[in-house]
Amino acid sequence: MLTNYLKITFRGLAKNKAFSFINIVGLAAGLSCCMLICLYVYDELSYDTHHPDIAQLYQVGTVFVNPDGEEKTAATPYRLADALQQEYPEIGSTTRLVGLFGDDKTLLRANPVGNIANSKPAVFYESKGYLADPTFFSFFRYDFVEGNPKQALANPHAIVLSETMARNLFGNQSALNRTIHIESNTNGVGDYTVTGVFRPGTVPSHIDARFFLSYAGGGLSQYINGTTGMVSNNMFFTYLKLKPSTDARKLEAKLPAFVEKYMRKDLAVAGRDKKQFLTAVRDIHLHTDLTHNVTPNGSLTYLYVLGSIALFTLLIACINFMNLSTARSGKRAAEVGVRKVLGAEQASLVRQFLSEALLFSGFAFVLALGLVWLMTPVFEAVSGKTMHFSLGQRLGLVATFFGISLATGLLAGSYPAFYLSSVRPITVLKGGVGRAGGSLAAVSLRKGLVVMQFTLSVMLMIALVVIARQMNYLRSADLGFASAHQLIIPLRSETAKTSYPALKQALVSTAQVRSVGASAYYPGIFNPEDARLYGEKQVAADAKVTRMNRVDATYLHTMGIEPVAGRLFSVQFPGDTSNRVILNEKAVKELGYPSAQAAIGKPAIANRDSENYRSIIVGVVKDFHFEDLHVPITPFGFTLNLNGNYNYVVVNLKPGDMQSTLQSLGSVWQRFNYAEPFEYSFLDAEFQKNYEAENRLSTLVSYFTFIAILISCLGLFGLVSFNVEQRVKEIGVRKVLGATVGNVVMLLSKDFLKLVLMAVVLASPLAWWVMHRWLQGFAYKIDIEWWYFALAGLLAVGIALLTVSFQSVKAALMDPVKSLRAE
Amino acid sequence: MIQTINLQKLFATEEVETTALNGISMDVKDGEFVAIMGPSGCGKSTLLNILGLLDNPTDGEYNFYGTAVARMTERQRAQLRKGSIGFVFQSFNLIDELTVYENVELPLLYLKTPADERKQRVEAALERMAIMHRRNHFPQQLSGGQQQRTAIARAVVAKPKLILADEPTGNLDSKNGEEVMKLLGELNDEGTTIIMVTHSPYDAGFAHRIVNLFDGKVVTENFHV
Ligand SMILES: Nc1ncnc2c1ncn2[C@@H]1O[C@H](COP(=O)(O)OP(=O)(O)OP(=O)(O)O)[C@@H](O)[C@H]1O
Ligand SMILES: [Mg+2]
Repeated sequence: MLTNYLKITFRGLAKNKAFSFINIVGLAAGLSCCMLICLYVYDELSYDTHHPDIAQLYQVGTVFVNPDGEEKTAATPYRLADALQQEYPEIGSTTRLVGLFGDDKTLLRANPVGNIANSKPAVFYESKGYLADPTFFSFFRYDFVEGNPKQALANPHAIVLSETMARNLFGNQSALNRTIHIESNTNGVGDYTVTGVFRPGTVPSHIDARFFLSYAGGGLSQYINGTTGMVSNNMFFTYLKLKPSTDARKLEAKLPAFVEKYMRKDLAVAGRDKKQFLTAVRDIHLHTDLTHNVTPNGSLTYLYVLGSIALFTLLIACINFMNLSTARSGKRAAEVGVRKVLGAEQASLVRQFLSEALLFSGFAFVLALGLVWLMTPVFEAVSGKTMHFSLGQRLGLVATFFGISLATGLLAGSYPAFYLSSVRPITVLKGGVGRAGGSLAAVSLRKGLVVMQFTLSVMLMIALVVIARQMNYLRSADLGFASAHQLIIPLRSETAKTSYPALKQALVSTAQVRSVGASAYYPGIFNPEDARLYGEKQVAADAKVTRMNRVDATYLHTMGIEPVAGRLFSVQFPGDTSNRVILNEKAVKELGYPSAQAAIGKPAIANRDSENYRSIIVGVVKDFHFEDLHVPITPFGFTLNLNGNYNYVVVNLKPGDMQSTLQSLGSVWQRFNYAEPFEYSFLDAEFQKNYEAENRLSTLVSYFTFIAILISCLGLFGLVSFNVEQRVKEIGVRKVLGATVGNVVMLLSKDFLKLVLMAVVLASPLAWWVMHRWLQGFAYKIDIEWWYFALAGLLAVGIALLTVSFQSVKAALMDPVKSLRAE
Repeated sequence: MIQTINLQKLFATEEVETTALNGISMDVKDGEFVAIMGPSGCGKSTLLNILGLLDNPTDGEYNFYGTAVARMTERQRAQLRKGSIGFVFQSFNLIDELTVYENVELPLLYLKTPADERKQRVEAALERMAIMHRRNHFPQQLSGGQQQRTAIARAVVAKPKLILADEPTGNLDSKNGEEVMKLLGELNDEGTTIIMVTHSPYDAGFAHRIVNLFDGKVVTENFHV
């Protein structure tokens, strides 16, 4: 019997290739969407589940009680851990972790073994470095391929690094006991011995380290040793391992007393207040909402939303499957009738239809697996995750997905199965089938679903247009400085910083270079330095936060930042180096000067340590975007600092062959910084990095739009097929009576166009509202124009017409005699 | 042996109530060949469907080989129908996705007949209906006569006691119609009871007895020799 079902299914599949293909693709689209989301959710849920004593691990958090509200963070002072350990016997051990927060990247150089000094040592910059206590690896599981985790950080000058880094530094040789020279803005310069190499785990962790240094041996610990108390230096992450069967809530309840005992006095002096709390390590990623932690936490809400989307897409795919299947119910009902007359029981027919649906979902499963495999790189790029799974996990996931697929098949097949198998045999003998499955409620439900799907598609299309326009605006807006052809070279090490004047000389005399400048910061990256400035006619209370950048005499020229009054800094005015300032227009306005011109020669005053510092305004520059377009331009100032501790060199290049230019710049760099790699980036690209979230969003939205359109079209296709099936006879009769193909196509398309137009009408205000809110995130933005809606609407109508025409043209071209006889 | 007493069938739609059968009492003995005739709309097909256990009467009694079936559920009727009644329709009602062989095999599959016996019986039926050479063809590749012969093969393959035929020659030309009637006649000679609805007096001539219906009532019964 089963072979008989399969025969029918396969032959039906082959005979209705388009139908089968669409049905399978529809299910596969829903399934693969669901699978990808499942992968994401699975990854999010598995954070920090692999540490052996996870149930006893807690992170200490701090609540800063400020006059304007409380701030919850994971940052704690260094001395907290020891004091807690001393006070509470239920704490088995503690460990501390602190990121190299001052380094965007840390320089690492492999020291040669013995004196093979002639070969150039491997050297590179690496991010995500951490300082940790010796106990660290007894808390958190890292799979060591070399070294012993228990002893790894016992030595104050030890480094534990990832396998990839070990490869980069030492090639295929063993890294153990080799030494690495490290230069860090945060922790100073020093040599560290490799005591461990770990293989990045397959389980994600809230600690994303690429390498660990012993805390005790570096510059940060020296700095901390010079401080006292537990009020400031809140930069450490403190972890506790509680003794088994300790109730963490009880311990947490004792912490207010701890604050009283150890911190109250100091807090009172500083005029501050804080509280401490505990977070289970396994809850860190999804169940906390702190302003600062080792890595930003995930969001449970987001997972719920994603989970709902997964279920929803799957459900829609099922409904579309049902729609398409019941669309053929006329034909199938005839078969069912005959089978019943020949002795088939309802149960066996239900089995037949279910096995058919299962077969479809089986195909869809295979296709979906393929799609997921293809889409994983894109998905990783969009989600910002890299997913590693062990073989066991993979098998488990595939089995789960197979289960989901089968369940989907059963769900999708159940309606056609029970509906069709209940056809009474008598109806087929009367030729009364074909009107089956058309109760008014069912039809309105189908229509409603199609409207809903299209509403979503149109919303996504509108969103895509708005995002694309805004992105285009972000790329092309006038930033107020020259961002093209600007090469940025970071000066990270002491050597590099001191080499700057000579480096500058050499760079300027390179043929492809127009000009060279240097500064502490450049537009688009965080500019942490600021001063509170007020004007001549103002008082200290009027002071406005003004971001300050230290520059050399040619920086402003190189950057193309233009003066609107006064002049730019110049070596011709030696006095510029002290108590002279250049402000932007916004700052001048905030300082209360009536115009840029009026501000020249006037003071900008700062109060520091109850003293007045007056700087004379020598120039006013046009407002420029020192931050990205999310935020409005705020007061900004430059000071000239000739032997300044610059962080970046800006090189303005002549247009031309970039490859050879970079080569000559690289060789200039090597002359002064032999031991450091030549790193560079382009100002425009760096500035655009601020829009990474938007870029991701736009990729994500475009994929979702594609899937939504695909699924909506399938839904519509199902509905049209169903409708055509119902009206075969009507079409035949109309054609016999003289209707043209055009008439018939029109007749069939009209109803569906109405649905799509309804969707456009519903989607437009919704999309406007959502995108309007999204644009509020930008201080500088496009206006949403009417034609975005028109474009999305037209596209939707076009796509819908195309979908409808597949079936309607076929129906219209059908030989009327055939369609009449088919009744 | 089947017997009906005062069968009534009412069809109630929103606007009208149609009395399709209005007190039909008839007996059909084992091995009989009965033709049912009458003008269009007089209730022939309705009667045949009830006799074939595809539908229930609104009122009256129906005794099917000793079982009172008039008030059975669809499920019970299906159980009883299985293997004991063969159907032949005017429009053949073959399943397009199955070959001639597979169509004929279907009733045996539902009866869970063992494979070797199934093969033997299907081949015998095909042989008998002279359609063996087309066994691997699909219905659409056959002429009307061949399709109807396949349908008859399918009706007899389970060796039912009763064959019900609703205008079996209605879609066929006279030559093919003649052939089909001969086959039915042979089956009857071998002992199968046949009840056939027809508009053709010539076809009715193959039957032992003609039941004439008018407006849901038996008006006359003619016996042949
Ligand atoms: N499902 C139904 N609903 C309503 N009325 C019905 C239904 N089936 C049959 N009828 C009515 O019952 C009456 C008998 O129909 P039936 O099909 O038995 O006629 P018939 O004798 O077979 O006619 P024909 O020779 O044209 O096939 C007709 O008036 C018909 O309209
Ligand atoms: Mg009839």
